[in-house]
Formats: sequence, structure tokens, C-alpha cells
Amino acid sequence: MNIFLYLDENTWFHRLDPRTKIIGVLLLFGIVMVFNHPLYMAAVALGLVLLGATAKALPNFWRMRYILALLVVFSTVLWPFFAKGPTPLWSWGRLEVSRESLMYAVAMGLRLASFVAAGLIFLSITTNEEFTQGLIRLGLPYPVAFAFSTALRLVPTFAGAGATIVQAQISRGLDVESGNIFQRAGKFIPLGVPLFIYAVRHTNMLAMALESKGFNPGAPRTWYLNPQMRRADYLALALLTVAFLAALFLRLQGYGQVLPRL
Amino acid sequence: MGVAISIQDLSFTYAETTRPALRNVSGEVEEGTYVVMMGHEGAGKSTLCCSLNALVPRFFRGEYAGRVVVHDVEVAKARVAEMSRRVGLVLQDFEAQLFSTSVELEVAFGPENLCLPRDEIERRIDRYLRFVGLAEMRRREPASLSGGQKQRLAIASVLALEPLVLVMDEPTTDLDPIGREEVLSVADMLRQERRTLLVVDQDPDTAVDADQVWLMREGEIVAQGPPRQVLTDLALLESCGVQPPPTVALFQALGWPGQPLTVEEAIALIREHNLARPRPLQTPTLPANGRPVILELRDVDYVYPTRAVEALKGVNLQIREGEFLALVGQNGSGKTTLAKHLNGLLKPTRGEVLFRGRPLGEIRRTEMARFVGYVFQNPDHQIFSNTVREEVGFSLRMAGMDAKAVEERVAEALAVVGLSGYEEEVPFTLTKGERQRVAVASVLAAQPQVIILDEPTTGLDYRHQRSMMEMLRDLHRRGHTVIIITHSMWVAAEYAERVVVMRDGQILLDAPTRTAFAQEGILAEASLRPPPLLRLGNWLGTSGIPLDAMVEELRTG
Repeated sequence: MNIFLYLDENTWFHRLDPRTKIIGVLLLFGIVMVFNHPLYMAAVALGLVLLGATAKALPNFWRMRYILALLVVFSTVLWPFFAKGPTPLWSWGRLEVSRESLMYAVAMGLRLASFVAAGLIFLSITTNEEFTQGLIRLGLPYPVAFAFSTALRLVPTFAGAGATIVQAQISRGLDVESGNIFQRAGKFIPLGVPLFIYAVRHTNMLAMALESKGFNPGAPRTWYLNPQMRRADYLALALLTVAFLAALFLRLQGYGQVLPRL
Repeated sequence: MGVAISIQDLSFTYAETTRPALRNVSGEVEEGTYVVMMGHEGAGKSTLCCSLNALVPRFFRGEYAGRVVVHDVEVAKARVAEMSRRVGLVLQDFEAQLFSTSVELEVAFGPENLCLPRDEIERRIDRYLRFVGLAEMRRREPASLSGGQKQRLAIASVLALEPLVLVMDEPTTDLDPIGREEVLSVADMLRQERRTLLVVDQDPDTAVDADQVWLMREGEIVAQGPPRQVLTDLALLESCGVQPPPTVALFQALGWPGQPLTVEEAIALIREHNLARPRPLQTPTLPANGRPVILELRDVDYVYPTRAVEALKGVNLQIREGEFLALVGQNGSGKTTLAKHLNGLLKPTRGEVLFRGRPLGEIRRTEMARFVGYVFQNPDHQIFSNTVREEVGFSLRMAGMDAKAVEERVAEALAVVGLSGYEEEVPFTLTKGERQRVAVASVLAAQPQVIILDEPTTGLDYRHQRSMMEMLRDLHRRGHTVIIITHSMWVAAEYAERVVVMRDGQILLDAPTRTAFAQEGILAEASLRPPPLLRLGNWLGTSGIPLDAMVEELRTG
């Protein structure tokens, strides 16, 4: 079971400093938020697919294809009822769909998918340790960054234990699929308790192992990973900043907007 | 050569408990020697390991008396992080020790804590990954390694701190035979480097090479000495819940001269004194073949959806009512995948699985628990109740049985596993062996006709292994069909009637137990080896399996 999305490739993107990756993905999020016109959003989405291809992150896009498709479809179906536009297309009682709201809905679908895509690119090119390292270089104290990355690290371990626990209880006749929501909630006790106890034991063991290897969160330490900001990093950040500012400028000029909202 | 470890009159009682975990333990380890510690579960071995790097009393608090000195540092006065330069500790649970996303970063963690410069860290990663044979795996994710590789990585990550003493607490318990050998060969290399090495292990085979064997019982050290002295005192070993070397036991039972610790030594002694003459081996055929087939796999293929790996390839297997069958093979050979098909946890990608001629797909989950019970390896993956009674009655309540009938069944199941009177106990506070029994009882309560157990003896000491297997034998006598998955060759040899050997998702060998263990060549293909007594038996041509049967046979000539 692998829930991590990191892909061990050696692209230009992978070699960037983790600080660049963190700030970069934030800038990408910013760009994704700027427009709400479907055509402009489509351009942004296409740009992200190209970035993804360059970073060799497309396998992860493929892995998440259902989620991405679901986001687009749901948002396209639901948004028209919540956003109001001036040109009515269809109405039924108080429900009303306008041309603008439909376009806005498509744009929102693309925006959500682009959001996920930007995140996917980041996760595909950044290891857990690099992320931690990046956070530390950006000023986060080591104990906080360590706790954060360890928590992330434990997710797949607990997910694996959880899967075994489910099988063990199913073998004893636990039926997780039937019953109403309250009955179902009760059935999580046989799953939750062993998982909780496993987690406590596991964390305790891990703490022992860490201490035995000389871990002391308050003490000074050195790093094997030694990311450096290079020319490529400054270039990447400059390009993304320019792109973000340009997008913002366009939007403020009234381009890429179907409805006057975010 | 100086003294590496000196323990004087050490006693320790964990906080909130009353029984001391260690009582007046004393001992000395010379620099550059190899010590193996043995003893039953709860004898204090792990506590003693932890007292060497200050986890006791710094991490585990409690009442501490006595003095432990490691390379001139009094442990109780140091912090764990300081001790890490002197004592490296490798724990049994390798899963819990690894937490990085790549092999090299895992090894880098210790040296980083020591504030070493980057190029020195680089040098140590290189050196110790090469030492444990993982140099090729530098960029791999630890989770993708095999058990033996993970434990070797854990060892490398500790060695990278270059500790003066290396302590390994049951480093091979959770491993298959190959993983075990991998880890022990690393231990062997360390020994050749004349490092001070302290290993806790249950297997007398490991202890044979030690300079010193320490035997523990109830928190005390009851014997310290060279292996030839300690491992030949069978009564003492037995009282410590340790498996005696079977060849020594055989020679003593027959009154033969000599105390051979290994099969090779035994053969040499037999030759030298002309004690017995090898004869052709006659293997018995399987009894009870007329009984109806209870479970059947027909041309089963299985592909794990997430990994696209073919875990089973064209498996055909018929299990008859009342059989006692052992599934053996390396990790990843498909044993567990096969077993999970037998109660419908996994559905074959191709082919079919039948229970008394009925396809499993037609049987409901709650009903299935009454036909085929499945006990998972780790009892802690299923125990969730506040009392043993509730835990054992769970599957019955799920099946909608009334309270009185549940009560009766629970009492019955507890009697079978030898836990009568434990109804009101809190399962979490029981020992590992007892929790394992609770797990078996909770599956037994549904009175399944077939009971499958995944590694029923892993993590138990010899005494508990014996009593667990005796209990299964008893179940078998009552008419249950018993299927075990095991890494332990002596367990398979002494208790199963039939052995199925798996390799790469296929059945390599399927034969009555004695016949299967006579095929050393085929077993070797699956990286398995018969237990010591049967290797000797194969050489001598004896067909009996347990010690008594072999003794009997050799006596009568």
C-alpha cells in the first residue's frame, strides 16, 4: 500500500530547492484562483498539464483521474444553482440557471481540478524530508517540522495496519457494509480500538528507536540533505511571480471573468 | 582487552507494577565478545537491553537499583542521546524503527543527530549500507524492502552511529528463514570485526557461535557461560522456556557419548563412535485419504489490483476434512494470499474456490465465519473489547445468537484454549501468548469446521509455542480441519500431517510431512531447510518425527 505520491525521477523540477517548490506551489495556487472564465481556466489547466508532463508527474494525474473527473463533473452540475447571472437560460420555480452561472460552474470545476493538479505536481517532485527541510529553511523550528513530517510518515503505516484490522474483523463475521448510519458507526469500535492501540504501541516504539539513535529535538544537529538555491531556483520563482502578477493584472483589467466574484 | 559492559546487582521495577523486571542481575562483557541472551517471555531480556543505553531508567521510569557501566560511563547518570555513541540498540519491531522515505536518509538520521559534517555522513552511509549489503538500494523507499532487508537497514542505521557496543533485541523473530539468515550473517560479520555484540535470540542455533550465553528466568540471570556448558543443561533450558538444541537432547536421551550442538557435529560423532548405521529412508503414506474434500482451489490465479503482481498462478489444492496442513514458503511466496482465498477474504482473479463443493461467492460473510475461521498473525489487530468474554463472544453476537447460547459457547471456547476463568480479564493486559489464545478462542467460538492460523507461533517463546501447538493438536483431534501458515520448520514437522511448500505463487511440493522434509533439494529451491532433527533423520534414514519417535526407532535398531 503506497499512498505517497512522490515519483523518483530526476527532472529539472525534482532538482529544485524545496523552498522554491513550496513557494512555487503557493504561487500556482494563486494563479489558479485568479480567473473564473472557463476559457482562461482551461488555459491555466492546460498549463498545469504541461508542467505536470515536464515534471513527469502525469502517472499521478492518471492515478487521480477519477477524483479529478469527479471534481469537474460535480462542480459543473452544482454551481449553476448557487451562482446567479444576468442571462437566464432555464428556470423551474426558484431554481434558475443562467448562461453566466453555467460558464462559471465549468470554470470552478476546472479551478478545483487545477488546484489538485498543482498539489499533485508538488507532491510528485518533493519527498517528505525535502518538504521538512524546506519548511525549516523557511523558518519553521525543527521540532515542529519534525513532528509534522513524522505525522505524515505514519499515515501509510497506520493505513496498512487499518487494512489488516478490517480483514481480521471481517473474518470474524463483522459486516461493515449493511445497516443504517448509526448501526454502521457502532461497527467502527471493533476497527477503531485495535487501530488506536496499535498506534499508541507503534509510536512508543518509534520514540524508543529515535532516542536510541541520539535524537534530541532541542539540540543542534547537521543535515545530510543540503539544498541550495541555484540560478534555476531564482529563475523559476521569477517566472512564476511574473505569471501570477500578469494574471492578476489581466483580471483587474476585467479579463477572464464571467461573474464579478472570486 | 578491557571490559565493555559491567552490570552490578541491577534491579528494576517498572513504574506502576509490583513485580521486579530485573532482580540482582550481574554480569560482565569483555570488549570484542559476542553474548547471546536467552529466556522466556517476560524474563527481563528486553529490560536488560534497554538498561544498557539508558532507555531504562530514562525512557521507562521505575525503581532502579544497582550500577551499569558501559565503557566507563555510568548509564543511569547519562541521557539516552549521550549513550547512543556508546550503545546501539536494534529492536525486534523493524517496522517501527524505520521512518524515512529513503534508505540513505534512514541511515543519515543518527549521524545527523551527532552533528557530524556532511561528508562524514556521506562516508558512513556508504560504508554501512555496503556492510549490510544494501548499497544498491540507496534511493529505495524502506517500505518497499523485504523483512530481512528492513531489519538490515535498521542495523545499518544504528551502526552508522559507530557505537562501541551493539545490542540486538530479537532481531530475527518476525523474519522468514531467508531474512533470518541475512540478519545473522550481518551479526557474524560484526563478530569477525571483533565488535562487542549482545544479541537476544530464541534459537539455540544462534547461540552456538556465541562466546557467552546468558540464560534468564523471572528477571534473574540463572546461567552465564560458554555455549557448550549452558546449552547442554537441558533441564535448566527447559525451566527457562528455551528450546534445547535438539541434537543434544537426542544424544542424551539415547545415552550416546558427546553433546553435539549442531547436526554436523552429531554426524561426526555418530561416525566416530559408530553409534548407528544410516539406512534407506522409508516414508509413510498419508492416512485418511478417503475423507471428503472440504475446501478446494481450482486453477486459481490471483493478481493484487494495486500492484499488478501475480500472487497466485494456477493453484490447485484439495483439503480434506480433518487434515492438519502446514503452508510453508518464503515471504511473498503466496502463502497468506492462498489462505485468504480459503475464507473468501480474497476472491480469485481466475478459477474458483469451493467449500464442500459450494462456490465461496454464494456464502454470506456471517455464515462464512462458522465454516472457516481465520486467526490473523497479530492478535492485537483484532482485540478491542474490555473483557475476554465480550471479545470471544463477538462473532456469535454478530451472527445474532441469544445471550445464553453465547455464554455457553464462550465458556467452551475458553476451555479449549486453556483460558477458563479468564472471562472478566481485560484482554490488553494479558501476555502475548494469552492474547494469541484469546484471538484463537474468539474464532473458535463460532465453531468453524476449518480453522486457519497465520503464524500462530511467531513472537511466542518456546514454552508458549509448544502449548499453542498442543492446543491446535487437541482441536485437530476433536475433528477440526487445521491449516497453519508457518516459518517455523520444527512446528510444521512435529504437528502437521501434510506440508504444502509454496514458491512464487505456485505449489512446489505437496506431500505428507515426513516425505516433504526428506526432499532437501526441493525445499532448498524454496529456500527452506528441514529442522535439525530431521536433517539428521534424513542422513540416518529414520522416519519418526518428534524426538521420542526418533529415539524409539534408533533404540530398536
